[in-house]
Amino acid sequence: MLRNRGIAFKLILFFTLSSGLILLLIFGFNYRFSRLLFEKKMADDAENLVHAKVNRIESSLLAVQKVPDTLASLLENSPYRKEELLPLLRALVNNNPDIYGAAIAFEPSGVDGKSPPFAPYFFKQQGELKYADLGKASYRYDHWDWYQLPKEINHSAWSEPYYDDGGGNILMATYSVPFYRMSGSNRQFAGIVTADINLDWLQEVVSSIKVLETGYGFLISKNGTFLTHPLRELIMNETLFGIAEARNDARLREIGRKMIRGESGFVPFRSIVSQEPCWMYYMPVPANGWTLAVLFPQNEFTADIARLSRMIIILGIAGLLLLSIAVAFIARSITNPLAAMAQASKAIATGNLDVELPACASNDEVGKLAEAFRYMKESLKEYITQLTETTASKERIESELKIAHDIQVSILPKIFPPFPDRPEFDIYAVIEPAREVGGDFYDFFFIDDKNFCFVIGDVSGKGVPAALFMAVTKTLIKATAQRGIDPGEILTNVNRELSQGNDSCMFATIFCGMLNTETGALSFANGGHNSPLIVRRDKEPEFLAGTGGLVVGAMEDAAYATQTVPLEPDESLFLYTDGVTEAMDARGEFYSDERLNQQVAQHRGNPIRQIIEGIMENIASFSRGALQSDDITIMMIQFKKNEERTASGITDVRA
Amino acid sequence: MEITTRKEKQVIVVSLQGRLDAVTAPELERRLSALIVQGELFFLLNMNGLEYISSAGLRGILATAKKLKEKQGKIVFAGLKGTVEEVFKISGFLSIFTAFDSEEAALRTME
Repeated sequence: MLRNRGIAFKLILFFTLSSGLILLLIFGFNYRFSRLLFEKKMADDAENLVHAKVNRIESSLLAVQKVPDTLASLLENSPYRKEELLPLLRALVNNNPDIYGAAIAFEPSGVDGKSPPFAPYFFKQQGELKYADLGKASYRYDHWDWYQLPKEINHSAWSEPYYDDGGGNILMATYSVPFYRMSGSNRQFAGIVTADINLDWLQEVVSSIKVLETGYGFLISKNGTFLTHPLRELIMNETLFGIAEARNDARLREIGRKMIRGESGFVPFRSIVSQEPCWMYYMPVPANGWTLAVLFPQNEFTADIARLSRMIIILGIAGLLLLSIAVAFIARSITNPLAAMAQASKAIATGNLDVELPACASNDEVGKLAEAFRYMKESLKEYITQLTETTASKERIESELKIAHDIQVSILPKIFPPFPDRPEFDIYAVIEPAREVGGDFYDFFFIDDKNFCFVIGDVSGKGVPAALFMAVTKTLIKATAQRGIDPGEILTNVNRELSQGNDSCMFATIFCGMLNTETGALSFANGGHNSPLIVRRDKEPEFLAGTGGLVVGAMEDAAYATQTVPLEPDESLFLYTDGVTEAMDARGEFYSDERLNQQVAQHRGNPIRQIIEGIMENIASFSRGALQSDDITIMMIQFKKNEERTASGITDVRA
Repeated sequence: MEITTRKEKQVIVVSLQGRLDAVTAPELERRLSALIVQGELFFLLNMNGLEYISSAGLRGILATAKKLKEKQGKIVFAGLKGTVEEVFKISGFLSIFTAFDSEEAALRTME
């Protein structure tokens, strides 16, 4: 599927994917790392914040504690009068802003065992300092926890928060210190000195804790009761364990236990207000064992990271887009010329070499390709132009060769029988020119009324030079023969003519014969030509012995002898060129003298035309379509018995 | 065709293998001409390995012989046999050139 896409698509795809992957990795690492940093910072911040608040509360509580501690010590160690105690108590409450109220509650039975209940109490209500005696029957201080607990344990203690109904009439917590009197040697419990703190005050302190948007703090008492909380309905009404129960959250219960045990920690927590996941840092207030917890809303804390991440993602996507555009631009700068070149090469392939090539200004690989392409086009154009010219000239030469070939064939006598009015002999010849213009030729003509000259020859080489040389030779022979000289002299003369100035060393093999058509006497001379076969009536054909002169045109001073052989009626001479004996079959085997001799013997007795045609057929079937490199020429001349001429006294001539 | 040449004293011995025809004859003629231009005058053509010789081959030999004749050089032949010997005989080349049965015989004579 990707295979069919363009380079631009692939480049964009791969670059974007790989860059995206790299960005994603960097982003993931960054996100994780910054989150860790943020969390660590959050934990540190949380610890610092809670520490500060706890210290603030602790120091307030300690300041509050100091008042009853001092007073108890005073009451224990020095005599006092009630009249003096009240202004002191009043002053202490008035001067101590952290204290809501303070009381000195004497043991009702007293040291002497008969004192009535008496507990002077100063407290602040709506900014005014008020006085009340807690010893009144409606209150009965000696039944309250704040009185009972320190009395029992003989030790100062903070009460659990409570609503002081009939006393301060607010939600408070009370620090109580027992004091004693020496009765003889007995140290006897004499009463309780208290200081109250208004839980509203704590509420103020704790609610001043603001963490980001929704973070908040809360305070729980030693048994897990909420002392302060943004949700007011929880205060004094609900415990952390109750929440854990409602949520069925074992982990929260465990956290609660740890808080009560006075441990501190940093734990994940789900906000009671917003139900969002938070981190919670909690720490005990050492003075009274309460625990301050502060919630850090996770989402808000990670909002910065989220914002940063969003920014990075947006930047990344924008970067990727930019990269894609850049890649697309580069890819286009590569593929556009390529596509154009592909288009151009198609056009070139169809033969349009004038097609406009895409302009490519750059000097990069594409530019070089375009340059190479342009060069190729120009070279092709030039080559084709040359080829066209060459082809044209080759065609011209070929057509000239064809003409030469036609001339060659046309100057040979081809009408048979050539002398229908001369029944005393018969002559027939066939030439089968090779594909190229060869140099075979034959000719025959009467010198006078009875002497008939015939020639067969083969010029060395092929082509136009051979054809020209052949034409010259043939003409020369005819002209020379007309002088009435014998064949030997003819060849000697022709040889001399041809040899002069024959720088190209061309030559011809020529067999020149002369038949006395009255007597059958055959005289001949052979200039290097294949020996003809003499076909006797009563004998097997045989090669004419005693030939073997030099080829004609080779040496200026060569001489050729004339030989004679008598022909009886119906006897003939079979002449051929080496194209016959050297005709080849597909395996490169020659037709050979032997085969020729045997074939001639086989056809002996037939009319000469039939013999020649039979042998031509035999050669054709021998070579079976193998391309012949030489002309194939056969000529046969037969002497015939002629009663008429014999009767008219030609015998005299023969005698 | 394969043409190998070596020099025995003053004689260039040329061994021919294959076919000497219109295609290969110009090559032989060119190489022999080059040797003649270099001043070589005596050539022995060993035709023992020659399978066939055409008229173009004969023409090449004739041209070489003519060049040598001008400079009083000489070309002789050895190892003629079969068709090649036949062609030499028919064309009358044996009447104008000297042919020896063997290379050794030829070299002995030329010394």
